Amino acid sequence: MAAPLGLPSLDVPTPIPPVAPRAASATDRDTALALDIFRYTPVPTIVLDPSLLVVDVSDSYCRVSAVLDREQLLGCHLDAFCEKVTLPGLASSRNAIQLARDTARPHQSLVAHDGRTWSLRTVPIFSHGTLRCFLMELQDATEAHRRQLELEERMYSNETFRILVETVKDYAIFMLDPQGNVATWNAGAQAFKGYTKEEIIGKHFSSFYSQKDRDDGKPERELRDALRDGRVEDEGWRHRKDGSRFWANVVITTVYKGDVLLGYSKVTRDLTERKQAESELIAAYEESSKLKSEFLANMSHEIRTPMHGMLSALTLLLDTHLNPEQLELARVIEESGEVLLQVINDILDYSKLASGSFSISHDIISVPDIVQSVFRAQQKSCHVHLESNLDPQLPKAAEGDSLRYRQIVQNLLSNAVKFTETGYVRISATLQLEDAEAFTILTEVVDSGIGIPASASGSLFTPFTQFDNSATKKYKGTGLGLSICKSLAELMGGNIGFRPNPEGVGSIFWFTAKLKKVKQIAQLEVLQEKLEKLSCPSPKMPLREIELAAVDKRVLLAEDNPINQKVMLKTLARLGFNKVDLASDGREAVRLSMHTTPPYDLILMDINMPILDGVQATREIRKAGLHIPIIAMTANALKGQKESYIAKGMTAYIAKPVDRNLFVKLLLNCLKREEPG
Amino acid sequence: MAIPGASDSIDAATFEQILEMDEDEEEREFSKSIVYDFFSQAESTFVKMDTNLEQRDLKTLSELGHFLKGSSATLGLTKVKDSCEKIQHYGQKKDDTGTNDITEEEGLSKLKTTIEQAKAEFHDVEKVLRKFYND
Repeated sequence: MAAPLGLPSLDVPTPIPPVAPRAASATDRDTALALDIFRYTPVPTIVLDPSLLVVDVSDSYCRVSAVLDREQLLGCHLDAFCEKVTLPGLASSRNAIQLARDTARPHQSLVAHDGRTWSLRTVPIFSHGTLRCFLMELQDATEAHRRQLELEERMYSNETFRILVETVKDYAIFMLDPQGNVATWNAGAQAFKGYTKEEIIGKHFSSFYSQKDRDDGKPERELRDALRDGRVEDEGWRHRKDGSRFWANVVITTVYKGDVLLGYSKVTRDLTERKQAESELIAAYEESSKLKSEFLANMSHEIRTPMHGMLSALTLLLDTHLNPEQLELARVIEESGEVLLQVINDILDYSKLASGSFSISHDIISVPDIVQSVFRAQQKSCHVHLESNLDPQLPKAAEGDSLRYRQIVQNLLSNAVKFTETGYVRISATLQLEDAEAFTILTEVVDSGIGIPASASGSLFTPFTQFDNSATKKYKGTGLGLSICKSLAELMGGNIGFRPNPEGVGSIFWFTAKLKKVKQIAQLEVLQEKLEKLSCPSPKMPLREIELAAVDKRVLLAEDNPINQKVMLKTLARLGFNKVDLASDGREAVRLSMHTTPPYDLILMDINMPILDGVQATREIRKAGLHIPIIAMTANALKGQKESYIAKGMTAYIAKPVDRNLFVKLLLNCLKREEPG
Repeated sequence: MAIPGASDSIDAATFEQILEMDEDEEEREFSKSIVYDFFSQAESTFVKMDTNLEQRDLKTLSELGHFLKGSSATLGLTKVKDSCEKIQHYGQKKDDTGTNDITEEEGLSKLKTTIEQAKAEFHDVEKVLRKFYND
């Protein structure tokens, strides 16, 4: 062991004396300074000579390596030294010295001890090419090392995310700055939005929205919502660079650093395929539903035609001389046939409504007239007390479909009567609302009948449901009536509904309809009067009216020419007359009109006929006390003849060839005249 | 629908009414049956007219004229209808407007030419109609 306080003598030309504060020479002073530096440097330091004997250690080193007795370390060989101290370890020290010597450069390494990390700097010191000593400096690098590790870790995860975001193709993931300008762009975004990074960075993200969305301020609204809620999600159309669009799911999330808004992340998913699959599914469903309805409509139509044939034949059969038993059976067939026909008509209406091929007409209608007429018809066959109450404010004329309005009223009223054994049925129509364009009319049917159980009231207007589904069904029907009424009311811009009768028993069914006001009604009335004077009917209305008026009317056609018979029969059938009898001469016409019960509602009489002409036949019919309207038909288009026929007892006259519009007008006049009121 | 080549012999509006009664615009079953019935009715009426002309039966000729007038009017066959009306008047020994009296001889000679004229007019319109029904 060398002198405890001196430096090793190895290659040192002049032994450096121990600390000698008293030394006066320059060399002494330098040596003393060098010793002081090593001894008092705050950087824990070990000085080794080239043979690895410890020459000096700093006080600071002693503190960090918990050495109590500094003196015992001096002069030790590195190997022995390392056994006595905690830092640095032998292996790392040797390794460090080796590297420093070989490279002749300072070497830095990290050593760990007791949960802390130390930086070990080994500096080889040469003088004139000869190695003089090694300086080993320790520095506590725990904090720096931890930071370094953290940094590395963060870099690693950032890199991972960066790779993820950049390579993901099915999503467009990018950042927006706080103003909404695009700040980053990934491969997916480029792939399905079509913009390259250079084109889009810095542009506002509203470029992806449609013009309409932009006009509505949707992009700005989304950013506002995201700011407020932290996140906003939306599905809608977005546009590509080439103008094509795709159905997108978009999530915008705010990104903060501390309290500073960095911007927004925006994730867009292309849902076009899903959307397409959805709409294909819906389309397929609608198609099949439409086919079903069309099939129903076709079937009903096909069934109805032979049904009409059967019922007409049955009507003729009823007119023959049947014995009471046969008559009873025939009546049963007739009644069942009527019910069946109603069922078929309901299904036909329903399937037309369901397939959307049902349209309502826009004629001029009068709600009070319709309600009155249904009311009167029902009154004839009614066992309960019937009341009607019409708001005097109801418009006399409005635009609507009288046939369909009538159908709803009829249905509600006949339902009420059907389900009411005792008490009353009241119908009322009131003007609910009137604006510049339209009237809203409320029609209510109140009854004291069996009422509707609360459990059934929800499905009242659902097709094919009836609240009495028991096997011993007391009330007939398809369960379609109310659902048809609902669709019809909706087609008329209104609603339908039910509530229990507040008087305790029974029901209230109501519906509303929005009927457009008739423009310049005064002018129209004037025009209509003029038209009537010209006996030139407006084209649409009378046809509809005559179809209504023709129902169940019995007509006798007296005509000898088979061609004219055929044409007239066809004309009448097309106007809705399905009970037409034929006489080929005047004599037969007289016989039929006197012996048919109930009597005919109308006779169409040709003038020139064999055996007995039209004028003579008319005279005989009138002589028998029958006041049926008789319309003369002739090709004798001579002036004054019309008056002469009317003088001879005929009601009206029409020239051959029969002009259909004129004929309709004439028929309406004659049939109305016959109906009282 | 206008019937080609028949603007003066067929009244379009009247014939249109008949066509409207067809359920199927391709088949035209109803109007075709009416028109073809009329063809046979006209032929048989003309045969009867010839017989009665020989027998100088003016009253029957007048009735036949009226009879054919009715159906031709219904179909809107104007020319045939007008000639038939004349036959009706001549048979009643009246002039073509039906206002002034004429002699039986005048009537017979006018009937002879008018029946021939009616036949010619009928055959003209028959050709047009057969063509219309692709016969």
